[in-house]
Amino acid sequence: MTDYLYDGTFEGLLTCIYEHYYSGRADGIFRQDEYQRSLLCDCCVVETNPVKARKVYEAIECKISPFDLRRMYRAFRSCVEGRETMILKYAVLGFRVGSRISSLHGEQAVYDVQQAENKVATEIDKFRGIVRFSVLGDGEKKIYYAPVEPDNDMIEFIAEHFSNRFRDQAFVIHDLKRAKAVISARGEWYISDFEKEKLPPLDPDEEKFRELWRLYFDTIAIRERTNPKCQAHFLPKRYRNYLTEMNDTGR
Amino acid sequence: MDVYEKLKVLADSAKFDVSCTSSGVARRNNGRVGSAVDAGVCHTWTADGRCVSLLKVLFSNDCCYDCQYCVNRRTADCVRATFEPDELAGLTIEFYRRNYIEGLFLSSAVIRSPDGTAEKILECLRTLRKKYGFAGYIHAKILPQVSPELIYAIGLEADRLSINAEFPTMKGFRLLTPQKDPQNVFEPMRQITNQLIEHKALKGPGLMFKGQDLNNADNYLSASSPQIRTIRRNIDAKIAEKSAADEILSGDAVKTKKPETSRDLIRTEEPVQTGYTAVGSRRNRKEIFAPAGQSTQMIIGAAGETDRQVLAATEKIYRTFKMKRVYFSAYVPVVSSPLLPDVFSAPPLGREHRLYQADWLLRFYGFDADEIVGEDHPFLDMDLDPKISWALRNMQIFPIEVNTATMDELLRIPGVGNLSALRIVRQRKYKSVTYEDLKKIGVVLKRAKHFLTCSGKFYGDRRMDPEVIRGDVLQMKDGEQMSMFSSGRTGAPELQDGAETGPRIRIANPSSRINIRKEAATK
Repeated sequence: MTDYLYDGTFEGLLTCIYEHYYSGRADGIFRQDEYQRSLLCDCCVVETNPVKARKVYEAIECKISPFDLRRMYRAFRSCVEGRETMILKYAVLGFRVGSRISSLHGEQAVYDVQQAENKVATEIDKFRGIVRFSVLGDGEKKIYYAPVEPDNDMIEFIAEHFSNRFRDQAFVIHDLKRAKAVISARGEWYISDFEKEKLPPLDPDEEKFRELWRLYFDTIAIRERTNPKCQAHFLPKRYRNYLTEMNDTGR
Repeated sequence: MDVYEKLKVLADSAKFDVSCTSSGVARRNNGRVGSAVDAGVCHTWTADGRCVSLLKVLFSNDCCYDCQYCVNRRTADCVRATFEPDELAGLTIEFYRRNYIEGLFLSSAVIRSPDGTAEKILECLRTLRKKYGFAGYIHAKILPQVSPELIYAIGLEADRLSINAEFPTMKGFRLLTPQKDPQNVFEPMRQITNQLIEHKALKGPGLMFKGQDLNNADNYLSASSPQIRTIRRNIDAKIAEKSAADEILSGDAVKTKKPETSRDLIRTEEPVQTGYTAVGSRRNRKEIFAPAGQSTQMIIGAAGETDRQVLAATEKIYRTFKMKRVYFSAYVPVVSSPLLPDVFSAPPLGREHRLYQADWLLRFYGFDADEIVGEDHPFLDMDLDPKISWALRNMQIFPIEVNTATMDELLRIPGVGNLSALRIVRQRKYKSVTYEDLKKIGVVLKRAKHFLTCSGKFYGDRRMDPEVIRGDVLQMKDGEQMSMFSSGRTGAPELQDGAETGPRIRIANPSSRINIRKEAATK
């Protein structure tokens, strides 16, 4: 039994898949910094190699399908434990059966990756709605800032949506858990490390609109139909920390 | 009156409008700010569990009508407020930029005249589109009796239009909205459908007309087309006792027939172009007029209608006007009136939920209203969803073999949805589907196992007895201990009684309780 350890990048994972074929079978792939050694398994650290990674990347795209490549990448971005091993199994099966793999819903390997992908997809849909911007800065320069804490590492998947929608505003979507952010202006965006300290103060008008929004939110609910269980089903408590309408103060 | 107070009053007045979806149109940002996502986006969920997608407000609640069920009726003692067009547009933009909302839902009370109010609404929408360059979603409510020219002009700005049908039966309509004429509700619906056809943008509800091109003369609704005539006959006859739904049902099955009039007639009705182009002037040809189509809503539980009448009217609306959605709104007793349910009665939420399930069967599963609710069972079963209720009445067609069934047949199996049916069809091209696979595919086996076979093997209860299956499904759904043995032996009456003692049962309408009993007794 051999486990491969990688550095946490997608290229690293692809390199591990390469080595699985060319230097010996991997039973599992894990992040180097999170790996717990066990007595039964050997492990070896796989050095990320862009050439090998590219080879695997292109092989997946051509021999399996672009759809499956996308699926594997999204699954990789999920928070599911053991996702790297799932992706390895998916790739192995994919190289055997080709593009039909995504139709073989009964296969455990397919099911696992599909579930992981689904987690990310659900959260993408959710966060298109529940990102809340606050206007920062005084005078001419205004920045729209939104703190988020998603379960999965997915802010890159909502970047295009927001950057197109708010083409004429400069904004930051800050993933506090991972200390990174989507930074966008004029319809273009990039991902960068980010720290909260750099931020300017709130716009003077900001509190007024927050107050109006809270007022609207409280008014629109029909009292006779109150149903907190239903609300919590759609809007779990863990997502509520940065929702303007759920919090009276603070950024 | 400041903006806080206005927002409070006008949001409070709008909260009973059901539709808050932002779906039906995908658009990249073609203005300064905003875009639209085809599936819609929910931004938050209020304490009642309903999603908030759009800023849903009335333009004004200063109404000149006196509809009995409405909080804003003329004779009601409440605070009146009216937005300024620019005030509301500005508020919408500020909310939108903070990603609170997906767009605007604008309805209004009738301030002095319908046209005067519609002009105000139009002014607000134009401000939003033109001055602020807003390319997000707009849902505009069309008031009855607004002139066709204004409807068209509003449609050029809005993504979705809707007119409230208010009541599924004519009786309810006449009783509770004395100043409105039902014809004024159907006429704008017809106009919108026709205009969508002219722009080649009519898509129809759900998968009901999947693969069909609806944008042809056959679907044109001329004033004398058969569908309209049915509706109109009801109106002309002024039958106060007999419901529109009954009338519709007594006629032939709903068929789309070629309108008898030529297109020339319709041409003359076509409104004048207003000469105004929206910020979305780069909207493509199909997106000029109300690209997300139209919808409507009905109040449930205010006028003593049956589920059969509701669903018949719903189906009729889908088949005739091909509109995207019909919404149901459980009547919340806000007003004390001898004509309405008691103010202390709870809104029929359970019933509303079942009606929505039935609505899904109509739009996505190829069911007819008659299959879901028939003459002998005019109410939906409150304990079981309408699909499994239908299946239990039609045990002769089950079990269905998942490896050979067509897509339509698969969709008839309780516990199999559109996605799982699609996955079954996809997988069996390469590999037969086993029982173990079904779970991974997403089939709800608790219900489905009684209705299907995998490569000839059956996994449900061998007796194939509707009552046994009913007991089995209910037991698992509610964690209630009901021995399958006893329920199988004693049959319906005892099962019903047993169920009623449980804490979970909630039958909204007393008459539906009676009907369920009757139904059980006849079995």
